[in-house]
Amino acid sequence: MTDGLIPSCDHTTGCITCGDEAVRMRVIRIDIERELALCATEDGAERSTVEIALVQPVSEGDHLLVHAGTAIAHAGSQVAA
Amino acid sequence: MTMKYMDEFRDAELGRALAGKILDAVEPGRHYKVMEVCGGHTHSIYKYGIDDLLPENVELVHGPGCPVCVIPMGRVDDGIAMATENDIVFTCFGDMMRVPGSEKTLTEAKADGADIRMVYSPLDALRLAKQNPDREVVFFAIGFETTAPSTALTLKRARAEGVTNFSCMCNHVTIVPPLRALLDSPDLRLDGFIGPGHVSTVVGARPFEFIPKDYGKPVVVAGFEPLDILHAIRMILGQLGEGRCEVENQYSRVVPYDGNPAALKVMSEVFELRPHFEWRGLGFISQSALRLSDAYAELDAEKRFGVPGVRVADPKACQCGEVLKGVIKPYECKVFGTACTPEHAIGTCMVSPEGACAAYYNYGRFAREKELV
Repeated sequence: MTDGLIPSCDHTTGCITCGDEAVRMRVIRIDIERELALCATEDGAERSTVEIALVQPVSEGDHLLVHAGTAIAHAGSQVAA
Repeated sequence: MTMKYMDEFRDAELGRALAGKILDAVEPGRHYKVMEVCGGHTHSIYKYGIDDLLPENVELVHGPGCPVCVIPMGRVDDGIAMATENDIVFTCFGDMMRVPGSEKTLTEAKADGADIRMVYSPLDALRLAKQNPDREVVFFAIGFETTAPSTALTLKRARAEGVTNFSCMCNHVTIVPPLRALLDSPDLRLDGFIGPGHVSTVVGARPFEFIPKDYGKPVVVAGFEPLDILHAIRMILGQLGEGRCEVENQYSRVVPYDGNPAALKVMSEVFELRPHFEWRGLGFISQSALRLSDAYAELDAEKRFGVPGVRVADPKACQCGEVLKGVIKPYECKVFGTACTPEHAIGTCMVSPEGACAAYYNYGRFAREKELV
């Protein structure tokens, strides 16, 4: 919504860092010692380093809910109907 | 059943079916006011036009659950003072940069020469500190319990890795005290609450039990997809119709009733409650915000650099307080869409996309409401 010169969140898709919303991401690689994981968004468009200390144990391929660089919950692919 | 968590919760046919069930559940002649506490829900409601699917007598009221919207002007001024009066790198989330202080925004302070940078996570700010060992890096932390564990983990990591040029100006807030303050407000009439989804991932659904117990209102913790929200409204109406009043968890696929114990543990280690904190539009609320605990005092930017701590009254024209309490709709504010727009926000509710005013403005609600008049 700004003139493009000012860094800001994308007002059309909501704010992924500031609000209550978390983003679902897939674990690609894990650094067990540092409790960090490389994660990608569902469409693969974005990758980022994510803290996984709060949702251990984590395996590659898991889906996590990520908020402000930290996974706050598992978002597994199996749920009861 | 395998779920991808996206398309299944946006199915139009199921949405219409749920809307039909909602219509069946309402008593004709009774007006229902349901507050969605979380700004993320407000955003989804307008993005997907959920309120258009509801009967006329079911009204959604927007709550105080946007962490950007509730930051008082004085805290923005404190941040700007810290960033400009010290030779530091000051970092914050993008939305925070556009929140007006009494004289300017952090973006304008940056244009005036302060080294203020946007980050996407506290971890990014810590990385900046490691890349610039000769500079002090401050992270301006905001957010409810969803975000606070992230800040806590980063502070623990800074200490473990011996990063001494990193500190945090803590503005984290907690969800229960403002809800209690709202419920104690005499001008508020609500029938039930849609509880916040991802805050509850951390704190669980249990902390909301005081709402049915002490105030006799149902709470349904909900996810953010359109069907989640419609389902939650149906559940609230169901409780009201059956004379039940309890906390229900619509978002059980993600929210454990008792929250995330690891997150709660790291928060209690790194933070302690402030005796009181000022909320925009709601005033001072006791024990409603977090500061760094004594164990982490050396990483507290307010102690390291000091802040003026001057209280600033909200602009007179701005009615964010009434919007945050759900007393008026955004378009009923005197400056909505005229003096106050997302490009030139007067009030914080217009700054963040999670803010009720920005959600109204961005999704054309203003135009539609005007046509109806």
